[in-house]
Amino acid sequence: MPHSGYTVFIVEDDASVRDALGLLLGLQGYPVAMFGNAESFLESLRSGWRGCALIDIRMPGMDGLTLQRKLKEIGCDIPVIVMTAHGDVESARHAFRSQAVDFLEKPLDHVRLIAAIEEAFSCHSQTLRSNESRVEFDTRLEQLTPREREVMDMVVKGFHNREIAKALFISPRTVEVHKARMMDKLDVATVADLVRLSLGQ
Amino acid sequence: MQTESTDMIAQVQRLLTGLAFVAAYILLDWASYLHPMYGLNITPWNPSPALGLVYWLRVGKRSALPWFVAILTGEVLVRGLPATLPLTLVSSLVLMVGYGFMAEAIRRRSDGDILHDRGHLLMWLVVVIVGTLITSAVYVSLLFLSHLIPVRDWTVAVLRFWVGDSVGIVVTMPFFWLLFDGRHRLRNLLRRRETLVYVLLAAFMLWVSFGFGAVGEFQYFYLLFLPIVWAAGRQGVLGAAIAAFTLQAGIIVAVQWQNMVAVTVFELQMLGAVLAFVGLFIGVVVDEKQRVSDELRQTLRLAAAGEMAAALAHELNQPLTALSAYGAACGQLLERGENGTRLKESIARMVAESNRAADVVRRLRDFFRTGATQLERIALGELIASSVSQFEHKARLQGVDIAVDPVPACTLLVDSLQLQVVLRNLLDNAMDAVQTQADGKRHVSVHTQVLATGKVCIRVRDSGPGLSLAAAAGLFEAFQSSKANGLGLGLVISRAIAEAHGGTLVAEPMTTGGLFLLTLPVEKVDIDAA
Repeated sequence: MPHSGYTVFIVEDDASVRDALGLLLGLQGYPVAMFGNAESFLESLRSGWRGCALIDIRMPGMDGLTLQRKLKEIGCDIPVIVMTAHGDVESARHAFRSQAVDFLEKPLDHVRLIAAIEEAFSCHSQTLRSNESRVEFDTRLEQLTPREREVMDMVVKGFHNREIAKALFISPRTVEVHKARMMDKLDVATVADLVRLSLGQ
Repeated sequence: MQTESTDMIAQVQRLLTGLAFVAAYILLDWASYLHPMYGLNITPWNPSPALGLVYWLRVGKRSALPWFVAILTGEVLVRGLPATLPLTLVSSLVLMVGYGFMAEAIRRRSDGDILHDRGHLLMWLVVVIVGTLITSAVYVSLLFLSHLIPVRDWTVAVLRFWVGDSVGIVVTMPFFWLLFDGRHRLRNLLRRRETLVYVLLAAFMLWVSFGFGAVGEFQYFYLLFLPIVWAAGRQGVLGAAIAAFTLQAGIIVAVQWQNMVAVTVFELQMLGAVLAFVGLFIGVVVDEKQRVSDELRQTLRLAAAGEMAAALAHELNQPLTALSAYGAACGQLLERGENGTRLKESIARMVAESNRAADVVRRLRDFFRTGATQLERIALGELIASSVSQFEHKARLQGVDIAVDPVPACTLLVDSLQLQVVLRNLLDNAMDAVQTQADGKRHVSVHTQVLATGKVCIRVRDSGPGLSLAAAAGLFEAFQSSKANGLGLGLVISRAIAEAHGGTLVAEPMTTGGLFLLTLPVEKVDIDAA
C-alpha cells in the first residue's frame, strides 16, 4: 500500500449502501470509517486524520454539499469525493467549485471509485508533504540573523550581490558571506530551491 | 386449386351480398312508397338510397350494378313501370349516377366514417343535400320532358323528391351505417336498459304529439326532441342514430295510422330531418368531448407516472449501488478463496437489496397500471422534514428563507413517495414565486395545523407576487403554466394525489404572497408526544 495509514471516510445515510461500500473498500485493503450523517462525521473529525471523504449529496439533515463547504471552512484538508443518485449539473458544479476530487453518479463504477480514492490519497499526501516541508523551512528561517534575512529577501526578489551590497551599505564580499551562511542554515543548494521554498510560505 | 376455390367462395359471397342488398333495397322501397306523386318514385320519405350509400361505402364501385338493378326492379315491382321501359332505364341510370357521385364524394372525404367528428358530419350533410338536389332536378326534368309531370308541378316535384331523398338519407343512413360498421357497438348499446327507456320515451312522446297534437298541426312535436337529446347526450352519435331511426319509423307509422295528406307528411318530414340532425350533431359533439377527455386523462396519467418515475429513480439507485458494491465484494472474496460466512452474508444482502429494488419497481408498475398508492404510516413531521430538506441547499443558494413552524405530532396513512411529490411541487412553486423579490424579502413558510374535522392542513406560503382570483381558478387546469419550462401539470397531478388520499389542494387568492392549502386526513394524533 503506497498510502499506509490513509482511511476512506464514508458519509452516507443509506445503511445498505454504506455497508456495501465499506465491505468492498475493506476488501480492497482500504481502512474504512463509516458515518450515517454529516453531523456525526463533523463531531468525530480530528485534525490528524489522513485519507479522503466519500460523501453522499442527499442526506437528511445536513446535505453532502454543505458538509463539503463546512470542511473547507474549518480548514480541514481531507479531499472530498461526492456521490449522488441523480447527477444534476448544478450540484456537480458546486462540488467542483469546492474542490471535490471527483463527482460520482450512483450506481457507482468501482474502477472509477478506486481511481478517485487513489487520486484523493495522493492529493492529500502531497498536501501533507508540502505542509511538512514548509513547517521545516519555517523553523530554519527562525535561525537566520536579521542581516541574513535581509539578504535572503533581496536574493529571492532577484537582486545581484552588487545591488544588495549597495542597498545595505556593505561590501559585496560581505554579502557573499551572509548569503553562503544563509543558504547553509536553510539547507538549500541553489537559489532556485530557495525561491521555491520561500514562495510556498 | 386452393386459391381458385377460395376465389370462388368469395365470388359467391359477393353475389349473395349483392342479391341480399337488392332484396332489402326493394323491400325498403316498397315499405316507404307512400303518398307518391303521379305514381312515380316521388315520395315524402325515401330511405332506400341510404342503404345504397352504406353499401357503396363498404364495397366501393362494385355496388353500382346491384344498385342499378335494385332501382330498376323497384320501378317494375313496386310501381308497376309507370313510364316506358327505355325511359325507366334512362331515369334509373340518372339516379344511379347521381347517387354514385354522392357516395364516392362521401367515401373520399370521410374515409368511410361519417360520424367521426363535426367536420365529417357537416361534410356528409352538405354532400347529401347538394347531391340530392342536383339528382332530383335532373331526374324530375327528365320525367317532365317525357310529359309525365305537368309543367306547373315541376318545382313542387323537385322539392318533394329532393326532401324525400335527403330526409330519408339523413335520418336512416347513420343507423344503417351502424348496422354494418358498428354492429358490435350497436349490440352493446341495445342491451343497455337506458336504451330501452329512451326508446319507450320516444314511443310515448310520439303517442302524445300525434294522439293529441295532430289536429293542432303537431303543436307537441317539440316533445320528440327530449328522447333524441337524451340519447345523444348519454350515448353520443350512436344513441342519436338509434333514436332518430326509432322516431322516424314511429312518425311514418303515425302518418299511416292517421291517413295524413301528402302535404302534411312533407312538412312533417322537414321537422323529422331537423330532429335527426340536431340529435346527430349533439351526439358527435358529445363523442368528441369524450374523446378529448379520455386523451387528457391518459396524458395526465403519463405525466403523473413521469413524476413518480423521477422520485423512484432515486429510490432505485440506492439498492442498485449497494447491489453492485456487494457483487464486486463477492468477486473479491471468491478470488481470495473465501467461501465461509462472509461470502454467504454478502450474498444474502444482495438478495435483500434486489428485493428492495423489486419493491420500488412494483410500485412504479402499480402506478402505471392503476394509479394505486402504497399506503404506510408516517409521522407528519418526518414527511415535511424530508421534503423541506431537499430544498435547503437550493434555498441557501438563492437566498430564500424557508421557515418550518413546529409540526403537531400526528400520524398519516399515506403513500409517502406520492406526498413527497406533492410537497416538493408546492415548495418548488413557492421558491420560483419569490425569485422576483428583492434580497431579504424571499420567504417561504410551512405551517401545519390539526383541524377539528380530524384533518391536518399544511399551509405553504410564499412572499411572491401572489395570485389573482382568476389565476387561482385556472391554476389547476392542465397545461396552464406561468413558467417557461413547465408543462403546467405539476399542480394537476398534486391535486389528483391529494384527492386520491381523501384530501384537498387549493390555492388561496391573495394580494400579498401565494398560499396553498393541502388538507389530508389524519390517521392518529399522538397526544402523548404533543
